[in-house]
Parts: sequence; structure tokens; C-alpha cells
Amino acid sequence: MAASLSSRGVVRLLGALAKSASLCSSSGGRALHVTAACCKNRAARVRVGKGDRPLTYEEAHHPHDIGHRKGWLSQNTSNLKGEGGAADRTMEDVFIRRFMFGTFYGCLGNELVIKRRGNMLIVCALILHKLPPAKMYFLIGYSEYLLSHFYKCPVKLDIQTLTSKAVYKYL
Amino acid sequence: MVSPSQKPSVYSNMAALGKYGGHCIQKNSRFLLSNLEQLWGHRSFGWTPALRQQAAEANKESTETIVIPRKKTWSNVAVLEALASTVSKDPTAYHYQFQDDSYLSPRTTYELKLFALSQEAGRSAAKYFVNTNPKFFTKDFAEPHIPCLMPETVSLLLEEVSEEALKERIHLRKVTAAIDMYDQLLQAGTAVSMETSHELLDLICFFGDSDPVEGEELQMEDSEEFRMVKKKTKFNQPSNLQCTWKDDNNAERIFNLLPERDTRCYSALIRGMVKYGAYDKALSMFTEMLNNRLTGDVHIFNALISVTPKIQNTREKKWDLILELLTQMSQQKVQPNLLTFNTVLKCLSQCGPTAKTVALSILTEMKAIGIAPSLATYTYILWTFFKTASCAERNTDILQEMMLELEGTSFTCQDPDDIYFFGSAIKICLQSKDLELGYKVQSLVEVGENWRLLGDSFESSIYFGRFFSLLCQMEHIDVVLKWYARHVPSLFYPNSQGLRDLMQALDTDDRLDFLPAVWKEIQSLRHVHRPNLLEELISLMARDKHSPEVQESFAMCALEIKNVYESASRAKYNPTWSSMSLSNITTLLLRANKTQQAWDMLKLFKANNKVPSDDLLEDFLSVCRSDSSPQRAVELVQLSASFCLQSTQRLATRALAEFDLTEEQRAILSELESAGEPAN
Repeated sequence: MAASLSSRGVVRLLGALAKSASLCSSSGGRALHVTAACCKNRAARVRVGKGDRPLTYEEAHHPHDIGHRKGWLSQNTSNLKGEGGAADRTMEDVFIRRFMFGTFYGCLGNELVIKRRGNMLIVCALILHKLPPAKMYFLIGYSEYLLSHFYKCPVKLDIQTLTSKAVYKYL
Repeated sequence: MVSPSQKPSVYSNMAALGKYGGHCIQKNSRFLLSNLEQLWGHRSFGWTPALRQQAAEANKESTETIVIPRKKTWSNVAVLEALASTVSKDPTAYHYQFQDDSYLSPRTTYELKLFALSQEAGRSAAKYFVNTNPKFFTKDFAEPHIPCLMPETVSLLLEEVSEEALKERIHLRKVTAAIDMYDQLLQAGTAVSMETSHELLDLICFFGDSDPVEGEELQMEDSEEFRMVKKKTKFNQPSNLQCTWKDDNNAERIFNLLPERDTRCYSALIRGMVKYGAYDKALSMFTEMLNNRLTGDVHIFNALISVTPKIQNTREKKWDLILELLTQMSQQKVQPNLLTFNTVLKCLSQCGPTAKTVALSILTEMKAIGIAPSLATYTYILWTFFKTASCAERNTDILQEMMLELEGTSFTCQDPDDIYFFGSAIKICLQSKDLELGYKVQSLVEVGENWRLLGDSFESSIYFGRFFSLLCQMEHIDVVLKWYARHVPSLFYPNSQGLRDLMQALDTDDRLDFLPAVWKEIQSLRHVHRPNLLEELISLMARDKHSPEVQESFAMCALEIKNVYESASRAKYNPTWSSMSLSNITTLLLRANKTQQAWDMLKLFKANNKVPSDDLLEDFLSVCRSDSSPQRAVELVQLSASFCLQSTQRLATRALAEFDLTEEQRAILSELESAGEPAN
């Protein structure tokens, strides 16, 4: 998810660069302006297509639905008033998502939910039935140990398994 | 006692002003406690643990003056411990190390071991990665510092020839590297301190002169057969451990190079020799030590006593050697410890029941010295008294006394053989069919942390399996089911023998309506492909007639069992039909009026070359009559003729008599009837 999005974002940035460069040459003296405002209309929104693309509930709803129809994928207190470390928590979350995406390759059914409780990191994942349970336990033990040693706090994996991705609608 | 007028004020205080109420409670703690306990039992309304502590203490000292301490300190985890004491074990959940998901829950003992070991394997893989790339894991976020989450140093840092480098190698358990460093140090001429040489000798003797292999712990895990074999040889000939102590040993070489040798060096060497099977060398080393006028220490004597049964065969010689060692021990004023007594008792247990009195006298001496016996002590005494072979003595007095003495004690693991106590005790209870004693053993398991001494999953499954068999044989079915719900599947998974015992218990107490639930258990415990179990289940179901609902549920089970036999997906592993099971399933289907399925079953008879019984066909005929299907009746008689059954003629007569048939059918039947006659 995140990987594909960033590549699309890169394309858009290059497009914006090219456009602004062409504008520069015609009118002369326009500064380079790579705007984030444009990306807000495209972020985390799957565009309507032919109707054969299955989407989960998470993917089907847009970011303005967070707090209304969607919950938060990353739950920590760093964004409250007077609390610090928001940027560090975000970076940790990004790393954990990529790590889990790679470790359980092809098995993740939906985005991870990362909760911080006390000094514990709880990673809740929906895993598909692609692997036999013994191999899943190997990966679970491996990820828990590695992430605990990386972040110096107890990391627990909370796994729920599905036979296949829960499709909410087709776009 | 408190006057009635004081009570309402107490209530209103507690309800309204918590702080004032707490103050009141503190002042009138003694009165309040007795009062409230009368009224509300032992419910506590938001009392903090501190207050309850003080109130409880005050109650106990009711005859003396109340002394309220000025300050009470609590440990760091006191709140957590108090919270933990409110939660007891959840009997419906699997072990907490597994994920709480049905796909990832272990259903059998094999799966439990597999999942636990694969999780452990994942952890070791991550540990290997962390330790080989420590530079990624050194950044320390934790406040305060958590040492167990830092990477361990596994690679050597010091390369120069020095004593520090030698110490480092010893610390990292690198045996060959340590020996090389020591040799280099000696060649360079530097003296190595006594302490370091002691440690080096300990290292070499412990690891037997070779580097410890990484996967050695895992190798021991798959040795269940090894454990079974070990159990069998307990009372037989002492096991012949291969002597893996090499003759030209680094340990002995370094030992001889030492300028002065003291007790500790001898101790390391003797214990290493005992561990790796060089018993005669150990004894000769011991005599050499005595000749050098050194005193042994308790570890040497423990090791030598454990060697006794391996080198002497007859009971007298063993006991003589043990006595000799013990007298030397007392002469040299070496204090025995728990392991000494345990080793002596272990050797005696191999001598058989003739050593009973000696064993008991050792136990009394142990207590006289003041060493608290561990569970292993009691295990060996049990082994001495209850040898597996002899069925003569069924006198469980010794076990009764033991349980009386051990009641309510909580143990810690002090000896590796502690884990065999509960298995042996419950085995004795099972053999002597003593239910009360079994309950006492179970209550000892439930005291405090004693469940840890049940051993690993294999040992604890043995214990629970035996306990469950005892219950099935001796207890009422309701109690059996209650214990079943308590132990399965959180503590153990019954094997097919356990399920058979359960079915026997159901049969004894005439609760056969519970059999469909047993079938569900068989399915969830993955015992579905055991034909003996299935046959027993079906025959129990088909034996008697029951009420219609029960018959209906039996028929559903029968259909599912038939699917097990006939499933196309795992045709190679399907159990083979026997005529008993076929007949029983057909009977069950008939009784529940599932005639069409019953007919399909008859075809299976032919396909599997099994012959249906006469009663079955008679029942079929009656069913056909109630259904009034004469065609079916004729087919039935033809079927029985094809099997060349004796009852063909009888069936034909019955069919002719009871059904109104067409001419054609009459002709067929009369033919069959007459065909049957000459054979009679």
C-alpha cells in the first residue's frame, strides 16, 4: 500500500515539476512550486474503475472518513497536548509496517493496527491462511523478538486469521 | 458488638464521603470487620489492600493490643500481584503462548509441541540475526536500561595472548579457543592464575573437550522415544552410557601441567569423567586425590555415589560402596547436601523393594540434619516401594503418609528428577484404584507454583491422562465431566485411551446420550482416523434402543462417521470398514428412519466384501413392511441370496406372507425360497 502510493506520488511530483518548468520557460521568472495541496485530493483514495477491483472497508473509505466511519490505524498518545515524540512514533510505525509487510509477504489481509500501551507495542495484524500454522508461529516469534530488540520495549503480535481478504466493495 | 445506632452512620459515611469513611473504617476497623463480615460475607467495597491488610491483622490480634505500623512498604509489583490474584486460569483457553485464533490454536499434543517449537525456532533465528549484527541494535531508547534487550556479545574482542583474552573465551564458552589460548600463554611463559585455571578445567570437563553445538538443546527435544526408553530401563539393568571421555584428553593434559592441584581441580576432572562415562578413571582419580592427602568436596562425593549403580551389579556390593563413600565423607568432614541424599536414594531405588527400611532411615537422617527433602526424594522412595513388575504389594500406606506430610507445601525445583513425582504418585493411585489419594495428589498440584513441577508437556500429559483414567474408573459421570471441562483442552489433550475410558464411564452410568458430544471431541482432538475408537463408539451407540431424539442424534453421528470412512479426499488414510461397524451404522440409520441412507449402506457391504448379519436383514424387512414397499422387500431377499445367507429362505417366506406382491415378484420369491430349502 504505502510502497505503491509513494511511487504514484513521485510520478505526480515529477509531473508538477515538468509543468512548472514549461510554465517557467513561457512566462519567465516563475519560481519552482511543488505543492502538497494537490496531493490532498489524491491521497488514500482509490479511484472508481471498471468494477473488478476488490476493496476492503479500510481502502474503500477516504481519509475524511477517519473518525466518522474509520478508526485510527496507529494509536498512541504522542499527539496530545504536552506530549512529545510524535515524529519518532511515526517513523517507528512506518518501519514496523514495512517490516511486517515484508516478513508476512502476501499474507497480510489489511493494514496493521499499531497500539502503544504502557511501554508495550502491540501490533494487530489480519493474516490470511496462506501459510501453515507452524510457519506462521516461526514468523511471529521472529518478528516479536526482532522488534523488541530493535525498539527496546516488549512488542506483542496480536494475530487474527482470515481465509481471504474481507471485500467491502468493488470499484 | 456494635450498637445498632452506629450502623446507619457507618453506611452513610461509606456511601457519601469516601475519605471520611476510610478514616472511620480505620478507627473502627475491628468492629467494622466483624460486623461487615457477618452482613456481607467477604465482599469488599473498594477497600484498598492496605486497609484490608490492617483490618485483617487487627482481627487476628483481637486478644492483644492493636499495633498499627507507622509505614508499610510494598514491592514494586505489589499492585500487579494483587490484580493477578483476582484472575484464575481460564479453562477454555489454550496455553497463553499461542495466539488466540482458531486457525492458530493447537488441537493435539503434537500440534502443541510443533507450534511451541516453531515459535522458539523463530526466536532463535532472530537472536542469531541480532547477535551477528549488533551495530543495528545498540541504540538505547529504554529508560531505565533493559539489559536483556541488548545484543549479546558472541564474537571475541580480545585477540592478544593474555589472561583477559583467556577469561573472555571461557566466558563465551569457546572451548577449543580457550585451550589454544592457554597453551599459547604457557608457551609465552606467563603464569596463569589459579582461579582462571580452575575455570578453564571446569569448562573443559563440562563440555567434554569439544565445543558446544548450537542446536544441542533442540536435539534433546525430539528424543521422546529416548525418554520412553530411559523410563523402561529405570528398574532394569543400569544403562550403559557410551564412554565418550577420550583417552588423550586436553583436560587431563592441562591437569598434569598444573603446578599445584587442589580439590577444585580434582573435582572438575572427576565430575567430567563421571559425566562422560569414564567411571573407573573417576575412581582412580579419587584414590589419587586421597593419596595426595586432599579432602574431597560434596560435588565429588555426589558424582561418585551416582556412579555406584553403573559399576556394581549386586545390591550388596552397591550398598557397600555407597557406605564406604559416605564414611569417607564423614571422615573428611564434608557436609552432605540435598543432592547427596537424593543420589543415594536413587541408587537404592534401583536395588528394589528390599531397600525399603534403608530408604526410610535415610529420609529421617536427612530431616535430622535439617535438609528439607525435595520432591525427587519422595519420588525415589516411591520407586523403591512400588517396583513396576511386582503386583504383590498394593499397600499404599507409604503414599498416604507422604501426602499427609506434604499437604499444602509448595515446592521449587531443586533436582532434575522432581518432575517424576506426580506421575509416579498418580500411577500408584491408578493401580490401587484409590480415588481419595488421587484427589490429594491433585490438590498438591494446585498448591501455589507446584504446577511447574509437572514437567514438560509430555510428563504433564502423562499425569493428567492417568488422573483422568482414575476418575473415569471410580467417579460419577457428572464429576468426570466437570474435571474434563476443567482440564481439556487447556492443560492436556486426552489420547484415544482416555476417550475410551470416558466412553466406558458413560456406559457405566447409563449416560449414552452424551455420545454425540464425545464424537465432537474426537473430531476436535483429531482422533478421527483411529478405527478402534470409531468402532467402539459406534458399537456403544448401536447396542441399545434409545428415545427418538437420542436416536436421531446418533444417526447424524453415524452419517458423519460413514463420511470419515468413505471420504474421497484422503482415500489413502481412510480406515477400512469392518462388518461390525457397517452393521452398526446401518442399524443406527434404520432406527432413526433414514431408510434411503440405510439402503446405500447395503451397497457398501458388497463393495467391501463384508457380509451383513441376519438380524440386520430382518430389521430391514420390518422397515420395508412399515414403509409398504414390496419392491424393496424383493430386492432385499435377492441381496441376501447373493450373499448366500442362511436366512434367505426365512426372509423369502416372510416376504411372501407379509407383502402383497405382483406375480413376477411372487415368482422370484418362491424361487429363492425353494432354492434355500435343499441347503437346509
